[in-house]
Amino acid sequence: MSKSIFELVDQLPTGGTTIMALNALDFVIPGQWQNLTGFTNTIRAVTGESDEAMIQAIGERAVYLYNDEGEGYQRAMWLYQTVDNAAGALGVAAMANKIGQDISFLGFLDNLTPKPEKVQSINLCIKLVVELVAYCQINGIPGDSVGDFLAALGDYGGESLMRMVALICFDGLIPLGPGFIGKGLGTLNNMTPNDLEKNDTFKSVSSLIPGNNSGDKLGFIGQSFDSVSGWMTGFVDQKGLTQENVLGNLQKFVKISEDKLDYVGAFLDISVKYYTHTGTQTLARRLIERAVAEL
Amino acid sequence: MTKLDWRIDWRKGVMAVVLCATLAIAGCQAKAPSQFDQVQKDSTARNATPAIAKDATKGGEFNKFFPKGQDGYERVYTQEKKGFAEAKLKKDGKELAMLAVTDTRSLPAAAAKFANAKTSIAGYPSVDMGTTQTSILVSDRYQVKVISKAPTFDKEDRTEWIEKFDLAGLSKLK
Repeated sequence: MSKSIFELVDQLPTGGTTIMALNALDFVIPGQWQNLTGFTNTIRAVTGESDEAMIQAIGERAVYLYNDEGEGYQRAMWLYQTVDNAAGALGVAAMANKIGQDISFLGFLDNLTPKPEKVQSINLCIKLVVELVAYCQINGIPGDSVGDFLAALGDYGGESLMRMVALICFDGLIPLGPGFIGKGLGTLNNMTPNDLEKNDTFKSVSSLIPGNNSGDKLGFIGQSFDSVSGWMTGFVDQKGLTQENVLGNLQKFVKISEDKLDYVGAFLDISVKYYTHTGTQTLARRLIERAVAEL
Repeated sequence: MTKLDWRIDWRKGVMAVVLCATLAIAGCQAKAPSQFDQVQKDSTARNATPAIAKDATKGGEFNKFFPKGQDGYERVYTQEKKGFAEAKLKKDGKELAMLAVTDTRSLPAAAAKFANAKTSIAGYPSVDMGTTQTSILVSDRYQVKVISKAPTFDKEDRTEWIEKFDLAGLSKLK
């Protein structure tokens, strides 16, 4: 059986490569993401509740909600986990035992091959679509109008916003450079459904992407990416994000030598599970908010 | 087979047993008991009651009864699921409260707590929970709840915002 929601939240790491990489992005949204871990801790933080009986009741309702398969929470968790794991299964074995010893990772970068730009572009687009699909699985489609829905999306904060910052930085700027949005759109425009079917990230999550066939799904991915591209462009401009300042901040936490920069994207793909990490945090928060309202 | 081979095999067997036992013990130790183990068991049992009742009202039905954003207050819908709709109340970009409507068909205990209610808001029985929640029960079925998220947003504010819902409209919802 898959893990319970309280185990998943209790087992969120408090240190390690993913946390260091996310902390390196604090300069983009200062203080907005705290690494909240532990199920009852999360209940306390989200609700401000200190009464133990109340915390127990909220937790129990949240567990019930998560375990009702019709409610979409488990599908959202599966999406977050799958899109992270699809990234670079090959390099994992080579790196796994070294990460614990030394985060400088330079010795085994040679085992990694940077992915071709086209593959990186598709991954970026698919990860964004996964965010959208997972969002709807967790929250439904709030409000009665497109405006309401966009307002709900615009209200991203905390760990959800951090996930989007990491997407822009780790899957956009670092591997693809400042023109990452254009590259994403360009790749999608020149792509056939057949090309899409060959992409490992797509293969892993395609069952939950809306559309009857790969052609429909490609259309959905294109429209979704296009509709969020304006927000991403604005965010990059407003925060003054560049490949250099993102790498500069990352270097404060993880040693990267100048001649290995090409490999950073591949390294991040493999060792930084930010979708799973922040996705679990988002899911827990939303479940708890719903549980409190229902009790 | 020589005698030596037999001894090596025998030792291998013992090693395997010891290894399995070690793993089993380590496995058990890794999984500490949790205060949520029982509910996990109950909610995943084959005949478990689903969290959400089949006949619960769609969350989208509740949206139109929510108070509108006004006088600098902003209402942002955040969740809409079966039997549940929720919006955030903000002012100057700051989160003040959560506004929610839920269908108690899925959780009868939520409705039962109003049986002993000593207070009312707009003619509906009302209950306070903890220090941050105030709610009423409409038509013995729909719970309207306001949850404070900022310390400045107190019980009076919660009452005021419950009254701003279209409660008459909600009471006619079938």
